[in-house]
Amino acid sequence: MSIKPAANGRDFPDILAGGVLIFLGALGLWAGRDLTYGTPAMMGPGFLPKSLCAIIALIGVIVLIKALSKPHEALDAVNPKPLLILVAAIAGFAFAAERFGFVAATIWLLVVGSLADPESRWKEIFISTAVLTTLGALLFVYGLGVQMPIWPF
Amino acid sequence: MAFLDVLMLGFSEALTPTNLMFCFIGALLGTLIGVLPGIGPTATVAILLPVTFFLPPLGALIMLAGIFYGAQYGGSTTAILVNLPGEASAVVTAIDGYQMARKGRAGAALAIAALGSFFAGTVATIALAVAGPTLSAFALSFGPAEYVALCIFGLLAATILAHGSVVKAIGMVCLGLVLGMVGIDVNSGSARMTFGSTDLYDGIDFVVIAVGLFGIAEIATNLESKEIRGVLQSKIGRLWPTREEFKDSWAAVLRGTGVGTILGVLPGGGATLSAFSAYSVEKRISKTPEKFGHGAIAGVAGPEAANNAGAQASFIPLLTLGIPSNSIMAMMLGAMTIHGITPGPSVIQNQPELFWGLVASMWLGNAMLLVINLPLIGLWVKLLQIPYRLMYPAILLFCCVGVYSVSNRGFDVALVILFGILGYVLRKAKCEPGPLLLGFVLGPLLETNLRRAMLLSQGDWLVFFERPISAVLLVITALMLLTLILPTIRKNRKAAFEASED
Amino acid sequence: MNMMRTAILAAGTLLATIGSAHAEWPKDRPIQMIVAFAPGGSTDVMARAMQPYLEKELGADIVIENRPGASGEIAYTALAKAKPDGYTFSYINTPGFLSMQVQRKLGYDPKTIKPIARIVDDPAAIVVPAASEIKTIAQFIEAAKAKPGAVSFGSSGIGTDDHLAIIILGAETGTKMTHIPFNGAGETRTAILGAQVTGGGLNVSEFGGNDTSGLRMINTFGKERSPQLPDVPTAIESGFNVEMTSERGIAAPREVPAEIADRFAAAVKATLDNPEFQKQAKQMALPLAYLSGPDWEKEMPTRLARFQKIWDTTPWVQQ
Repeated sequence: MSIKPAANGRDFPDILAGGVLIFLGALGLWAGRDLTYGTPAMMGPGFLPKSLCAIIALIGVIVLIKALSKPHEALDAVNPKPLLILVAAIAGFAFAAERFGFVAATIWLLVVGSLADPESRWKEIFISTAVLTTLGALLFVYGLGVQMPIWPF
Repeated sequence: MAFLDVLMLGFSEALTPTNLMFCFIGALLGTLIGVLPGIGPTATVAILLPVTFFLPPLGALIMLAGIFYGAQYGGSTTAILVNLPGEASAVVTAIDGYQMARKGRAGAALAIAALGSFFAGTVATIALAVAGPTLSAFALSFGPAEYVALCIFGLLAATILAHGSVVKAIGMVCLGLVLGMVGIDVNSGSARMTFGSTDLYDGIDFVVIAVGLFGIAEIATNLESKEIRGVLQSKIGRLWPTREEFKDSWAAVLRGTGVGTILGVLPGGGATLSAFSAYSVEKRISKTPEKFGHGAIAGVAGPEAANNAGAQASFIPLLTLGIPSNSIMAMMLGAMTIHGITPGPSVIQNQPELFWGLVASMWLGNAMLLVINLPLIGLWVKLLQIPYRLMYPAILLFCCVGVYSVSNRGFDVALVILFGILGYVLRKAKCEPGPLLLGFVLGPLLETNLRRAMLLSQGDWLVFFERPISAVLLVITALMLLTLILPTIRKNRKAAFEASED
Repeated sequence: MNMMRTAILAAGTLLATIGSAHAEWPKDRPIQMIVAFAPGGSTDVMARAMQPYLEKELGADIVIENRPGASGEIAYTALAKAKPDGYTFSYINTPGFLSMQVQRKLGYDPKTIKPIARIVDDPAAIVVPAASEIKTIAQFIEAAKAKPGAVSFGSSGIGTDDHLAIIILGAETGTKMTHIPFNGAGETRTAILGAQVTGGGLNVSEFGGNDTSGLRMINTFGKERSPQLPDVPTAIESGFNVEMTSERGIAAPREVPAEIADRFAAAVKATLDNPEFQKQAKQMALPLAYLSGPDWEKEMPTRLARFQKIWDTTPWVQQ
C-alpha cells in the first residue's frame, strides 16, 4: 500500500475502501462457492452469505466509482513498521502460548512488541517485561484460572 | 403479599452479613474481570460453580449475579480508557467515551457511566420486581419473524452509528453479517467459509474481532506517528463531570434505561441491541448530532444506562420463566438446579425469600458497585499518565491473554492479527468498525430466525407483515430509512458532518 | 481459581476440605478433564457437579478444561492426541460421538478413544405447549399426516438426539414434519413455550430439571418409562418403534493402563452411589445410569450401524 501521487478529484480513502470491499466480497464468494443457495422456503447454507458477499462487492464498486469523481482527499500517512512488529510479536505469542507456556510467550510478546515504539529504552523494556510477566502469571494463570501452562515443560 | 411486604422480606434476606459479603465479593470480582478484556464473566462463573455447591443457595446466587452485573460495570472502563471494548455492549461506549478520554474528560465519562449504570440498574431491578411476569410474556411473543424485524431495525440503527458515508457503513454492516456466519451452519450442519479449518467450525469469537479491530489497530495507529502519541499523554481535566455535562446526560440516561429494560428482556442479542439502539436514539434526537463520535457525553450516558438495564433485565426471563437468555444465565440456571431450585412462576410463590432476596441484593450490589467504582476513577485516570511506550505493551498482554482464554487456544490469538491488519486498513480507508461489530453480533440471530421464519411460513414472505409486532417494527424501520434517504434531510446530515470534520 | 478459592475461604466460607486420607495416585499433578462444550451447558454443569466428588474419591485435583467446538470434535481430537498416562480424560456424549463418525471425515480416529464409564442415559422426548390439543404421539403423527409440512418440530440442533429421533419417527410413519433446528435446549424450550413450533425435542433432564408449567411432555423415546417421569409413556409402548437417548460418560486415550482405567471407573461409580451426589443429581433430574466402559463400548457398534442406515437413506446434513 503506497500513497499514490496526488491527482485532482480523487478520494483516496474511498478508493481504498472500495478496493477492500470488492476484495473481501470476492473472497467471501470464493470461500462459499460450494454452499447450496436453496430457495426462500428452504434456504440453503449459502443463501445469505452469497447474497451478502455480492452486496459487499457491489457496494465496493459503487464506493470506488464515486470516489473517482469526489473532491481530492489524500490518505493519512502510512508507516507500516509498528504494525509489522506488532504482528510478529502477537504471532510469536500465539505460537508459543500452548507449546512453551505463559512465561516464554509473554516475554516474547513484550520484548518484541516494545520495539514497535522507537522511543522504547532497553532498560525500561527489561523492567516492565519482568514486572508484567510476574504479575500476569499470578493474576491470569493462578488468579483467574486461565488454562495455559506457565513453564515450557 | 403486598409489594412492600415482599420488598421488606427481600431486604431482610439480602442484608444479612453473609449475604452482604457474598454480594460484595461478587461485585468486586465482577468489576475486576470486567476491566480485563476477554476474561469474561462466563468463565469466572463457570470456575466458581463447584464452589457454590457448598454455599447457601441464596448466597451463591447473590454472588454469581454480582459477578455478572459487576462485569458489565467494569467492561466500560477499558472501552473508555484505551478504546478496547471487552464485550459487545461496550463497543458503543468506546465510540464517544474514548474520544472524551483523549480530550482529557476520561474522569467525567467514567463517572457518568457509573452513575448512569447505577440509575439504570435501580430502575431495571424495580421493573423486575413489579413487572417481571408481564415482561416475560412479551419476550415469549417474540417468534422468528419478530426477531428478523428487530434485527433489521437494529442494523439500520447501526448505519446511524457511523459518522461517515452511509454506503460505506452499510458495507461494514454486511461484512460483519458475513463474518458472523463463518463456521458450522446451525440449520444444515455444513461448514461455511472455514477455508477447510476445523478451528473455525465454531465461528469467530466476538472478542477476537473486537480486540483486533479496536485494540491492535488502535495501538498500530498510535505508534505510527509522533504527533498522535503526544496527544495520548492526555491532560487531566476535572475528574467530576461539569454542570453542563450533567445537563447533557440525565435525559439520555432516562431514555437508555427505558430502551435497555425493554430490549434486555429478549433472549439472544437483547442486552447488546439495547446499547446500540440507545446510541442511535441519542444521536437521532440530539440537537448536535455532529458531536457524536467526537466525545458527546450523551453517547456514553445513554448506551451505558441501556447496557446495565439490559443486563439486569436479562434476569427477568430466567427468574419468571426459567429461560436463560445468555450463557451466564444458563450457568445461573445450573447453579439453581443443583441447589434444587427450579426457576419459574413457582419460585416466586414457593420460595419468596429466595426470589425477593436476590432482587433486593441486586439493588444493594449496584449501590456497592458505585461505591467501589467512583473512588477507582481517580486511579484509572492516573493510569493514562503512564507514558504510552510503557502502557501499550501491557494492553497488548491483556489483549493476547484475554483472547487466548476465550477457547484456550493460540489459534484465536493468531486470528487477531488478521483483524488487526483489517482494522488498520479500514482506518486508512475511513471506514468505522462499529457497524461491522453490530452486524457481526446480529448476523447469526438474523440468519437463523430468517430461515426459521421462512421454514415455518413455508416460503411466504408476508409472514413478516401478518404478525403485529414484526409489522410495527418494519414500518418504523421503513420510516427511518425514508428520513435517511429523503434528499433534504440527507443534505442537512451531510452539512452537519462536514462541520464536524475538523 | 486458587485465588478466588482462597478469597472465599478467607471470607469465612465453609469449603469442603478435600480429604487426602486415601489414594496415592496421582498426587504429583492435577487430572485434566476435557468438556467438549462451553461453560454453562448441561454437560459442563454435570462435570462441575461431579468434580468435588471425583476429587475426593481419587484423592487428586481435577481441572476442568472446556474445549468447545465442532460439536465435540475439537475436544475428542485433543483427547485422542493426549498421552495415555491417566492425566487426561474427557466427557463424551452420544449420539454426537457416534453420529459424527457417520457424518464426516474426522480429525482423529474414534478407535483411539476408550470409554471408561457411562454416567447418564437421558431419553429424548416430544414436548408440546401445555395449551396444545396434541396429547399423544399418535395425535402428533395424525396432525402431521393431515397437513404435511405444517407440523413443525424444534430440536436442539443438527444431528442431536432430538433431531435423529424425529427423522426415524418420520421414516417409520411415512410423515413429513418441518424440522426447525435451534441452538441448544434453552432456545427450544422458549420456542415451545411461546408456541412458535408445534412441538419440540427436550431430553428428560432438560424437561424435568426446570419449571414445567406451560409445557407438556407427550412421550419419551426411552427403552422404558423414565423413573423421573413415570406418567409419560414411551414411544415404543404407544406402538412406534423409535428409541433414542443421549448418553454421557467419560473416556480416555485407548492406551491408558487398565489399572488406572479401573480405578477411575470405580471412582465414578462411587460418586454415582454417593447419596449426597444422588440428591444433587435428582435436583438436576439427571437420569443416572452407570455402565462400565467395556459394557458401554459393546453397545456402540449397534447404534453406529443404525445411524449409518439412517444416514444412507436420509442424510441429516446437507453436504
